[in-house]
Amino acid sequence: MIQAVLPSKSGRLPASAAASSLLWVSRTLLGLLVAYPVLSAIDATGIGNGPERDAALFRPGSLLLLEAVRVGLPWFDSALKIALLLSALSALVELLPLSCAFDLLCAEERPFGARISRSIQCFPRFLALGAIALAAQVALLLGASLLEEALKAALQTADERLLSIAPIALFALALLASLWLYGVLDLARAAVVARDLGARGALLRALTLLREQPRDVLSGSYASAAAAAFAYLTAAWVVAKIDLAQPLGSRIALCFAVHQGAVLFGIAWRVRWLRRALALNAALRESVGD
Amino acid sequence: MRRAAQDLLIGAAFSVLSGLSLLSLSELKSGRPQAASQRSPSASFAAALQTPSKVASYDIDARLDTSAHRITGHETIHFVNRSSVQLNELWFHLYLNAFKNDKTLFLRSPFGAGRSGDKAHEYGYVDVKKLSLVGGDGADLWPSRDRHSPDDPDDETDIRLPLPNPIEPGASLSLELTFEDQLPEIVERMGYSGSFHFLGQWFPKLARLEPNGSFAHFSFHAQSEFFADFGDYDVTLDVPEAFRVGASGRLDPEPISHDPGRKRLRYLAPDVHDFAWTAWDKFEMRSERIAGTDVSVLYPPHQERNAEAELDSVRFALPHFNALYGAYPYPTLTLVHPPEAAENAGGMEYPTLITTGGPWYATLGGGHFIDIVTIHELGHQWFYGLVASNEHASPFLDEGLNSYAEAEAMEARYGAGAVFDGFGLSVSSSALNRAFSAARGADEPIAQGAADFASFRNLAAIVYSRTATVMATMGRVYGEERVARAVGNYTRRFRFQHPDPSDFLAVMRDELGADAASALSTALFARGTVDYLVREVVSAPEPTAAGVFDGPDGRQNKKPDPPHAIGQYAGRVVVYRHGTLELPVDIELTCEDGTRQRSHWDGHGFTHNVDYVGPSPVVAVSVDPEQRILLDDDLTNNWVSSKTVRAPRNFERGLYLAQLLLGAVGP
Repeated sequence: MIQAVLPSKSGRLPASAAASSLLWVSRTLLGLLVAYPVLSAIDATGIGNGPERDAALFRPGSLLLLEAVRVGLPWFDSALKIALLLSALSALVELLPLSCAFDLLCAEERPFGARISRSIQCFPRFLALGAIALAAQVALLLGASLLEEALKAALQTADERLLSIAPIALFALALLASLWLYGVLDLARAAVVARDLGARGALLRALTLLREQPRDVLSGSYASAAAAAFAYLTAAWVVAKIDLAQPLGSRIALCFAVHQGAVLFGIAWRVRWLRRALALNAALRESVGD
Repeated sequence: MRRAAQDLLIGAAFSVLSGLSLLSLSELKSGRPQAASQRSPSASFAAALQTPSKVASYDIDARLDTSAHRITGHETIHFVNRSSVQLNELWFHLYLNAFKNDKTLFLRSPFGAGRSGDKAHEYGYVDVKKLSLVGGDGADLWPSRDRHSPDDPDDETDIRLPLPNPIEPGASLSLELTFEDQLPEIVERMGYSGSFHFLGQWFPKLARLEPNGSFAHFSFHAQSEFFADFGDYDVTLDVPEAFRVGASGRLDPEPISHDPGRKRLRYLAPDVHDFAWTAWDKFEMRSERIAGTDVSVLYPPHQERNAEAELDSVRFALPHFNALYGAYPYPTLTLVHPPEAAENAGGMEYPTLITTGGPWYATLGGGHFIDIVTIHELGHQWFYGLVASNEHASPFLDEGLNSYAEAEAMEARYGAGAVFDGFGLSVSSSALNRAFSAARGADEPIAQGAADFASFRNLAAIVYSRTATVMATMGRVYGEERVARAVGNYTRRFRFQHPDPSDFLAVMRDELGADAASALSTALFARGTVDYLVREVVSAPEPTAAGVFDGPDGRQNKKPDPPHAIGQYAGRVVVYRHGTLELPVDIELTCEDGTRQRSHWDGHGFTHNVDYVGPSPVVAVSVDPEQRILLDDDLTNNWVSSKTVRAPRNFERGLYLAQLLLGAVGP
């Protein structure tokens, strides 16, 4: 059964690579859309009109970066609000390429038009599952904040270090719980695409998987998130060493390569987890969720 | 199961590597600037040794009840009339009464709570039980005092005491007082938090006597600090045995008899103008001799990293300030890092004692908060401690000049990353000061009384940040070494004295000249502002003159050159100066072939023309290309380019951040 959902070998781009590319392209295009209002606001400050252009913003000491923030604050306020709104809309739009990526991973030979059509069919169910996950996330946050208050009261007599660490530990726990939550969400999405289940049935199947194979679910989603975090932090570490205040195009190209490499790396590990989610689904007995 | 274990292992490996990346990022520093010793000024800066003219000296014996948070004290004031006139009254500052009730000048402040930003949670006050003349008939003079501050029936922080007999110029008298303090929960560096106690402005104290016989007396205002005469302090503190004490001055090693379960400690602080102390049964302590001074840090448990960072800041800044502003003359320096719950005791200066502050994790990441607060408060040993200007009337002379000194020291130590240096981003002190200064700098004059500012936020932006920005601008325009030397001359000339703004300006004029002094005066007293700007850049081919010309050889008819024959371009750039500050500035033209041409404008007048003739057209103009004039109201209008501007760095960074955002909120 597991073999049935794994991509077969063919002359075309392997399914994982195709899915990763699809997700990267969609994120890049939507990223451009989200970044546009903020980049326009920076342009409007006029800070990049000098002979050094935007290199001035990257000078050591941040004199002109702070000036751009000060002068552009009214524009940035609006631009950031628009960017956040666009990112929320983009998150919805990204459900389509995600569905398509699942489809690529479980049925490689389907024609492109059929994949698109199937993604559109799955969209409402993905949306419903996303709403359920969001509600669960809100409940999780509420629980964490209540727990924090209780912790504060309990630790009133403890030393300062413990008082500061307690909310950080709580945050880490909430983050772990979120990973769990989104692991379950991906399992449900996999069930929607692979078995054409409704949102309720898919969720039931995902929860059954979680109950029966909790370590597989947790470790798979955890490895994916940890890999992405590692990629982003490593990129930040590398890029921090590149002095963008210098007028050299090669440095900008290097930054671009490092950053996009990190994004691709994170996406590739996510695709690896999506494949795993499909495989876990396939291994579960047929009747669950039907 | 094996697959799960593999995933878990991979996840764990990535987590560890992510942690390492995070750690490396936070420790990424930009290039270090030159060592402090290389920047130290020459031996000509050697301090002139002086001693103060002592007016009011205090012998105090105080007992702290750590359960009731009360102090019972006995105080003897030795006063010398060093004014030129006969005195018929004395003025007492009872600043603990600022926290007596919500109607005091301090607590009724519409801005909440003054400098530390918090109201008193419990009230505190000082009661003078008796005041009599030493060697007199023992009569209690205190009942004859005014009951409240002048023109303020709700405030008891500034009290006039008529004298039964006048004090002639040069004559002295001694007064004996008994008093009781009820401490508030910690507010404005005063009071308690649990068993932690901090005592600033805790004893009845005389206002400063001016040479003309008036007293510089004022109620405790939420935005104001202090002003007092120099004297000798001999203070004996009686505290529970388990408590560790930090105080102004040096601890007398001679043992003193004490009650069981308690201890008595005698502190001697000559040539100072205030005395503060702290007591806590949880203090830990580190001591070290630095630049000939015994430095101690008192800090809460688990704050060893902060204590080490503070000592390290003193290791750098004490010799640095000694070289710039004259040698620190006292044998001890005590740093107090209050516990987090008593953060309102932090970030304050007293003679030979400073308070710092910050959570236990303050040294993690790329921020230099601990260094900044330590170096700032240490700087006050000169700008307040030794050069004892009136903090109420001219706060820029202490807080402003000290912010300049702090920024100078921080940048000497950390360069462009003086405030923050990590994650590939560095923020300098001068950049941050400029940002705050530009935001509110023109709202009010710098040189005005602390109580005259519209709000403490204005005071902070204008007194601290704008003064530092004014001084940094003077340094960048007229020479950093010259400005440092001028400030050093000021601190040496007025060591153990009480200079006013005109004294400061006179020293600056001597060192920097009349033009600089005029600009400085405008910036300090007259809300001086400046904004250099350029609106457009145009340069066009310069043909030889065409038309009809009458000359000695008769009339000539010259035709315009064909376009391809023209090799020269000509243009004019107009630079504007808005505002009242006239500061010299450079103007740089950038040509299409990459060459640059620079000219200088002395800043006089409102416009300045730069004419250009050259082989390549001008494509960009930049006024003040090195941003020497940090006071410039708007740096974004200092340049203009005729070419389409591309911003590849912004595009690259913007796209990546948007991708990260989508990764976080996306499916």
